Amino acid sequence: MSGQTIWDKLARMDRRVFYWILFICLTVPYMTPLGLPITVTPSTRSYYDGLKTIQPGEVVLLSINSGVSAWGDCLPAMVASVYQVHEQGGKLIVWSIGYNDCDITWARIKTLLATNVFTDWVEGEDYVYFGYCPGQETNVALLRDNIRGVYTKDVRGVATDDIPLMEDINDASKIKFVMSSDTGDAQIYYIRQWKNGPVNYVGSGQPPLVAEMGIAMNKSGDMVYYLSGDEFGLVAGSRGAAELEALVGLKGNATITMDSISVSHVLLVLAIILANVGMFATRGQKK
Amino acid sequence: MSQVYKRELVFIVTGVVALVMMLDYFFGKNIPGLSGSGGIAGQLQTWALIIQLMAIGLGAINLIQVHYRQISRKTDMAIYSIIFMVFFAFLLLLGLYKLFTGVELYPYTWVFANVYTSLGTTLYAITGFFVFSAAYRAFRARNVDAAILLIGGCFVLLANAPIGEVLWSGFPLIGNWFNNVGQIPGMRAFTVVGALGLLAYGFRALIGKEKGFYSEAS
Amino acid sequence: MGVWIVLDTKFVALLLLIASFALFYAYMKLAQGGMKIKVRTFPAVAAIPEAIGRAAEMGKPVYYSTGLGQLTLNNQLNGPQTLAGISILGYTTRLCAKSGVKITYFTPIADSLPLVEETMRNAYLAEGKPEEFDPTTAINFQNEQSPYLTASLGWIQREKPASSILLGGFYYESVCIAEAGNIIGAMQIGGTANTHQLPFLVATCDYTLIMEELYAASAEISGNPDVLGSLKGEDLLKFLVLALLGIGFLLALIGNTSLIGLLRL
Repeated sequence: MSGQTIWDKLARMDRRVFYWILFICLTVPYMTPLGLPITVTPSTRSYYDGLKTIQPGEVVLLSINSGVSAWGDCLPAMVASVYQVHEQGGKLIVWSIGYNDCDITWARIKTLLATNVFTDWVEGEDYVYFGYCPGQETNVALLRDNIRGVYTKDVRGVATDDIPLMEDINDASKIKFVMSSDTGDAQIYYIRQWKNGPVNYVGSGQPPLVAEMGIAMNKSGDMVYYLSGDEFGLVAGSRGAAELEALVGLKGNATITMDSISVSHVLLVLAIILANVGMFATRGQKK
Repeated sequence: MSQVYKRELVFIVTGVVALVMMLDYFFGKNIPGLSGSGGIAGQLQTWALIIQLMAIGLGAINLIQVHYRQISRKTDMAIYSIIFMVFFAFLLLLGLYKLFTGVELYPYTWVFANVYTSLGTTLYAITGFFVFSAAYRAFRARNVDAAILLIGGCFVLLANAPIGEVLWSGFPLIGNWFNNVGQIPGMRAFTVVGALGLLAYGFRALIGKEKGFYSEAS
Repeated sequence: MGVWIVLDTKFVALLLLIASFALFYAYMKLAQGGMKIKVRTFPAVAAIPEAIGRAAEMGKPVYYSTGLGQLTLNNQLNGPQTLAGISILGYTTRLCAKSGVKITYFTPIADSLPLVEETMRNAYLAEGKPEEFDPTTAINFQNEQSPYLTASLGWIQREKPASSILLGGFYYESVCIAEAGNIIGAMQIGGTANTHQLPFLVATCDYTLIMEELYAASAEISGNPDVLGSLKGEDLLKFLVLALLGIGFLLALIGNTSLIGLLRL
């Protein structure tokens, strides 16, 4: 390839060069944080406003539909949400319909909030964790009518009938809203089966609302449901989580990763510019 | 059971179950004995869960078969299959111990907290590198359409990063416009046509005309 | 017993469902009766024989996957995509069996495995080579995304397949697998109805099936006139949807949002 000009090289740079540049540049902000300011987007603001409506004693659901691999994008928003539910005096039901590694995720949330939430929250009274059940939308439909039909006991082995928090709760109508942490489409199951689902199934009261904490990759698709009003809030990726952390006043992992997001995005834009400069320059040479 | 009967049975079961689920969704409790946890639809949903759980067992058997074959053929990859078998047996025993005694042994939690989690998050992070190289290759202003896509993409990228608004306050404004207004009609159109395709496909499967999966070749 | 018919969103959905089914059925019957249905060729489908031919020439295998599919066939959005992918797998396996090319199928969806094995076995049977079918070429990864992805990346790096076919309900693994395929220079055919993964497949694959094309592809492959008739019905349904969109837009302009309310999810 001795005839290659600098422009040819720019247009067809080996991807490993980029991988190394990206890898090295991403480590810098972790050592010297930039601490750039973050503006809160309307979708995150709506999510936070929804959290602020929780009255003491009201029950909300955290549905962990993201795996441990997506912690970078999904975990910070879950942590901030649980923190705010606690601040509002709400009660929390937690389960997963998507990933069987949810036990690790829930354990991590408990560890991260060990000093400011789980010191005074009592398991079974203020929160309950049911673990994973497969079945996805079928499962959501079953849970809408009869939670005990799916979860006969929590992960500790305590019968659902014996859990004080679940005393009056056996269907979706007793849950104020769903906070769905997704790498996929689980929030749509709750919209379809719970929020806009067959209300004649539900025992009493209003069907719950749905909000989502999705991965950044799915933001374009998730926005459709947020803008149509099917979701009252949307926290998109670690950027959305950093906004939520700023709103709830809990600086966490998402805020820390924002500098790396800045670096990676700027690098990507530079790479795209270089590739195009290379392409146009070589096109000119060929002409 | 002959192959023909077996095939027909698959389509009959599919059709009947689909019909029951549709009746349940649209009419629910208006049809006695249909909906709710005790109704036919509820029972079918429970069966779906049971079958799915049984399939996980079936998947485990497949995995053991694949790796057993690698080991018995003494291929280059046999060593990895041996490692798989050892870990499979190790975690299975620990899991069974937890199931019967209710006690979670330290190695069980350690493997999940320190190996599984780290590998999972690393793998997810690799996506960033792949997206980087894919974008570098794909975002070329070869024509006007591609140039518009490229410019829109750059605005969205800088709108999502805090540095964007530090560089210029217009980046988040324009980027969020692309995100919330520019791309939404396209996404909605995709959702609608995808749903229509799904409807047609579902109808063909329902009446047994979609035979590509299962046994078209027979 | 409650009220059976209430003019709500659900009733409108039922009416639209019945109307669509009626339209599909009518066109299937018309096609059976001899009506000529012209379906444009999907470049991605037309490229499958080329992909297999390439593998035969190079003496290398073919990678096939239907994606994460939310880990089950029992998923309303992804189950049909997985089935559509398995339909095309049947066709691809037949081509592979005919040309003596090895095909390996990767999936994390345990409950699709019996169907896949049956489809592949039947494909080999149809080509008169049942003894060549190896059930271990359909590999399951236990309802987990990461092992499935790692195994796919590793396999692609080691075996260097000549072609990689990704058709089904994909999630973030799409960009990783497709980029890994791109690195080794494989010919790639992708397709999904998951909007969030379409950009990645379009950017990384040589040919792409977009949204409903994935479902229509198996109809095109089958070549049955009555099945193709349903595609014609689907196209007419698009005009119906466009008309509803137009009417809803005009009504909203004069302040009437009742149609929008009735067509909500």
